[in-house]
Amino acid sequence: MAITSTTCSGSLPYLGYWLGLRVEHYEALLANPGAVQWLEVVSENYMVSGGLPLVWLDRFRERFPLVMHGVSLSIGSTDPLDEDYLARLAALAQRIEPAWVSDHLCWTGVQGVNLHDLMPLPYTEEALAHVVSRVKRVQDRLKRRILLENVSSYVSFADSQLTEWEFIAAIAERADCLILLDINNVHVSAMNHGFSSLDYLRGIPVSRVQQFHLAGYEQGERLIIDTHDAPVSNTVWDLYTEAVRRFGRVSTMIERDDNFPPLAELMNELEHARSLAEPLLRDAA
Amino acid sequence: MNTLQAIQQQMLRAVIVERTPPIQTIRSDGIADAESRLDVYRQGYRIRLRDALKNEFTGLQCMTGQQFDSLLDKYVDAHPSEHYNIRWYGSGLAAFLDYARPWRDKPHMAEMARLDWAISTAFDAADEPSLGIAELSAIPPDAWANLHLSLQENLQFLACMHNTDAFRRAADAGAKRPRLHLFTRAHQVMVWRKAMTVHYRQLDDDEWQVLGAAMRGMPFAALCETLAQYHDESAAMPRMVTLLQGWLEAGLIRGLSAG
Repeated sequence: MAITSTTCSGSLPYLGYWLGLRVEHYEALLANPGAVQWLEVVSENYMVSGGLPLVWLDRFRERFPLVMHGVSLSIGSTDPLDEDYLARLAALAQRIEPAWVSDHLCWTGVQGVNLHDLMPLPYTEEALAHVVSRVKRVQDRLKRRILLENVSSYVSFADSQLTEWEFIAAIAERADCLILLDINNVHVSAMNHGFSSLDYLRGIPVSRVQQFHLAGYEQGERLIIDTHDAPVSNTVWDLYTEAVRRFGRVSTMIERDDNFPPLAELMNELEHARSLAEPLLRDAA
Repeated sequence: MNTLQAIQQQMLRAVIVERTPPIQTIRSDGIADAESRLDVYRQGYRIRLRDALKNEFTGLQCMTGQQFDSLLDKYVDAHPSEHYNIRWYGSGLAAFLDYARPWRDKPHMAEMARLDWAISTAFDAADEPSLGIAELSAIPPDAWANLHLSLQENLQFLACMHNTDAFRRAADAGAKRPRLHLFTRAHQVMVWRKAMTVHYRQLDDDEWQVLGAAMRGMPFAALCETLAQYHDESAAMPRMVTLLQGWLEAGLIRGLSAG
């Protein structure tokens, strides 16, 4: 497989290897300002009126450049886009000037009810057109291109006309948005639906991938559950090396959402990512 | 073919309601059948909502003990989440306890939920400036009578018939559950945030009356008259000074205006 060493997406920067900002690591990160160069914040945690969350955010903003990652945009929902949400998201982006803003390719609720989960879409032409038009509206509202992340899924639909990777690729091209490729989520969905994770990687356009997420999962009785609460598995590390071969130098982040280990443990995982990717990237240069 | 909207509505119902007709478009295969697949979302939905409530209602958990989990289950069953941020899911819990059996016969629970929620909303309420002692000292003595105190807009007052604040305090400290006491009349509990820390405490009757008068826009002279209803002439002014000092230290006063 040919290695592509170009960075993607025009003007957005390459950010190296970094972590998601979580309350559990606030103190440790401030005590070790050299630990990472960048941090990804969960947008909704800071879309509040005041108080401690914004004080912490400002402290980190003084020391680290930030990236915003949301969970509630609900870009695939058939409910109208939430204007209040978009206004708060835009205000947060104005406050912290992130390198980029991302969310998930999914829906989180409909009929005014929120499931607080990343629900998969059927991969149909109808859904494709629906999402593309909404991505364009969001990008116009935020005055920037956004990144959409592939989600782990447990159901698939008989109505689907496309594979997941065809669907994501088509959205990125038609809406002119970028892709946050969660390597763990590719693996989880591949195992749960019986497709090839390598086929998935091959189907994603290189020029659209701006960021990788790496995370851990839990093996359920029949399905793999995306918990993001465990170390990255060996299978996902293997897939990551394949992704580096295909996509080249892509900003890479360890995303831990629960069962938080000491910061040093996540730094070790980050170092492992670097040790896997850098030799491949050097060889390709 | 099912429309996107129809699929989303069917899935929504399948997740929030335990028993629904099978959704034909969801595939079963050799890995797992459609129901097992949907179960992942069903279970995740309930776990997330329950966890969000557990974070916010620590006083209620202390008060209800082992009944807490079943209470949360009933609330989750009755109340789908309507806000994009799960942090707001608990906004209806106190009202739910007001009307739902068996809790409506135990009003201390709704009262506890209201206090927990007030503390939660104070945590990330809008920041406001607060007046310092130096700014107050600069006011000439003859100007005081007509001054109006502006209090923090995020101040909250709860009329409590029980010692609910003691349960929250026990939860915050990880201490033993206190005994429930029913008061003969309501006590006001004030919730506020100073800088980054949320505080709550019971108010004495005279303090509540004076704060109430200030919130109604009455001038300082009228606040002193209110206090005089509780204290004799020699004690009223020292008490006013004590209250003012306490409010300044607590950061409750946002500003002063004349006339």
